Amino acid sequence: MSELALIIEDDEDLANIFAEALRGIGYAVEYAVDGKIAQERLRNGIAPFLILLDMHLPHISGADLLAEIKQDERFAKTTIIMTTADARMGETYGDQADFVLIKPISFVQLRDLTNRLKPKG
Amino acid sequence: MNYLKRFLIISTADPDDARKRKILNILLAGTGFVSFLAILLFSYLIATSRLEMVETSLLLYGSIATFAGVTILYAINARYSGRIAASIFLIFLSVIFAFSDSPEQVSSGRALFAFTIPIFMASILLTPASSFIFGALSSVIISWLALSIGLTPNYPAIIGFFLIAFVSWLSARSLEQALGELRIINVNLDRVVAERTLALAESLSRERIEAGRSQAILNSIADGVIVFDKKWNATLANPAIRGMLDIPLELIVNKNFRELIEHPRLSPRSRGLLLAMIEHGTQPIGFRIEWSEKTISVSAAQVYDNQKQNTGTVIVFRDFTREAEVERLKSTFVGIVSHELRTPLNAILGYSEMFKENVYGPMNEKQVNMADRIIKNTQRLLGLINDLLDQAQMEAGKLTIQAQTVKTADLLESLHGLMDKSASDKSLRLTSEIDPDLPDALTGDPARLQQILVNLVNNAVKFTDQGSIHVRLFRQDDSKWGMEVSDTGQGIPESETHFIFDTFRQVDGAATRSHGGFGLGLSIVKQLVSLMNGEIRVQSKLGEGSAFIITLPLIIPEGVSARWRNT
Repeated sequence: MSELALIIEDDEDLANIFAEALRGIGYAVEYAVDGKIAQERLRNGIAPFLILLDMHLPHISGADLLAEIKQDERFAKTTIIMTTADARMGETYGDQADFVLIKPISFVQLRDLTNRLKPKG
Repeated sequence: MNYLKRFLIISTADPDDARKRKILNILLAGTGFVSFLAILLFSYLIATSRLEMVETSLLLYGSIATFAGVTILYAINARYSGRIAASIFLIFLSVIFAFSDSPEQVSSGRALFAFTIPIFMASILLTPASSFIFGALSSVIISWLALSIGLTPNYPAIIGFFLIAFVSWLSARSLEQALGELRIINVNLDRVVAERTLALAESLSRERIEAGRSQAILNSIADGVIVFDKKWNATLANPAIRGMLDIPLELIVNKNFRELIEHPRLSPRSRGLLLAMIEHGTQPIGFRIEWSEKTISVSAAQVYDNQKQNTGTVIVFRDFTREAEVERLKSTFVGIVSHELRTPLNAILGYSEMFKENVYGPMNEKQVNMADRIIKNTQRLLGLINDLLDQAQMEAGKLTIQAQTVKTADLLESLHGLMDKSASDKSLRLTSEIDPDLPDALTGDPARLQQILVNLVNNAVKFTDQGSIHVRLFRQDDSKWGMEVSDTGQGIPESETHFIFDTFRQVDGAATRSHGGFGLGLSIVKQLVSLMNGEIRVQSKLGEGSAFIITLPLIIPEGVSARWRNT
């Protein structure tokens, strides 16, 4: 069974590229195009192995989502990769996420990173 | 007394003349008074027929004549000339003495001494030397009287007269000299006093003018000003502060600083800043406070008087509301640009990589090559946008320097990771070294140090066509370390070395076109270095190469081997 990755990203192209990178190495991928949809998906019981979280999101901000995820026991083992174009945002919330990727994010870079995160065997 | 004074004193320009005429007046007054008494006495005696009529009448007429003469002399002395009056008086006196007794007595007897009076007085009333004239006159009188009665002139008395004249001359002369000197001293003293008084008056009026001018300036400037004494009591506030804070001046002046900052319109954060300013004596050049809806910039300066004594603090308040809004908008704009420009570029980059990585099926070599060029150009564009954003952030004062532990080896390792390819693409060698006495780890901002090195190396690659680029990290002394990037490139003309750190500047227009870029790289490096309290300088020789040398404060993080500290 493939590991589930949730991509929370409002830019369709980026979401597409991230999805290709993750699918290419065997992740099952789900999208959420804004904070509200992401919140509903997470509350409805999906338990992703990996969350790719953009900080600039419509409706509910990445920071609020991050706080909610961190409080939820179910996501204790979930790897959180924060993506942002704003280096200062990375500095502020960096310690709450497992990884911070500053945009522009390279397809190869993301693919290699998430490949390493995959459980062995 | 005043009346008497006015009667006696004659005002003339020459103080010596005035003095002499005053003495003459006293003598004349005395003589006049005595003759007046004589007139009364003799009139009484005649009226009561106590004495023989003829002689008494003569005495009465003599007294009247004397009184009249004295009055005339007084008039001459007062109106016309002291010298003439005195001469007539003394001659008159000598003549009276000549007939005051029998010729024997006058020429060599008891009346002889009376002549010493005009001789002596001549030296005082006329000139000192005139005592000799009256000595001679007296000698002539007594000799003539002696001869008229068949006696030999009294030579010892004549010698005596001249001796007295001589002594009178000496003493009067000394007196006049002493008086003259005294007068000069007085005149000088008067002049000094007058000068001092004038200077004092001038400085007082100047001070008044200055004070008035300062007050006028203070009243008309748009910035709010409050002056505090050493105990932080407000002693002075200008009208602008009233408009800015919208509270009456009475609520500011004479109030203590601590009382003022309790005002509810001041935000708690601002209160803390102001309190810190007075409690720790730390006075940043300028900081912002929020007063209701307003943003106000505050700057404080110590006030020193002429004796360099601290007399308090002056605080200048400037309404910064509009500027703060503009800054906020600028910051928002920067944020939007950073997001909105980078997102599509990220997409271009990602799709190009996917082509190159054969995600959409196998690509031929030419296609991979094209994808590579798209990636490279996109990265260049991203680099330029990053430079612009950094520049904007630095201008807004938003770029901050972190204090973290930096491993020197990591700096060079990632520099090679980022720049080796650019160098080898131009067939250049990128080499690096770390001086052995530089600690392995030091305190700094790893990302910004990296940025400095990348910008410098990027610059070196851009302006070097063959040869190598060398990066060296070194320790300068106990308190400084440095980074040096040298190349074997075209070099920088000396006339341009002062401008190369300017924003949007490259050496000559042609170079700008052939090398591309905004010319922001070095400007950013320079600004980052100064944010780190460091210095940057450039050494360059045209046609041989350039070296950029940066020195930074050396701070060794806790826990780093003591070996490094003692070097």
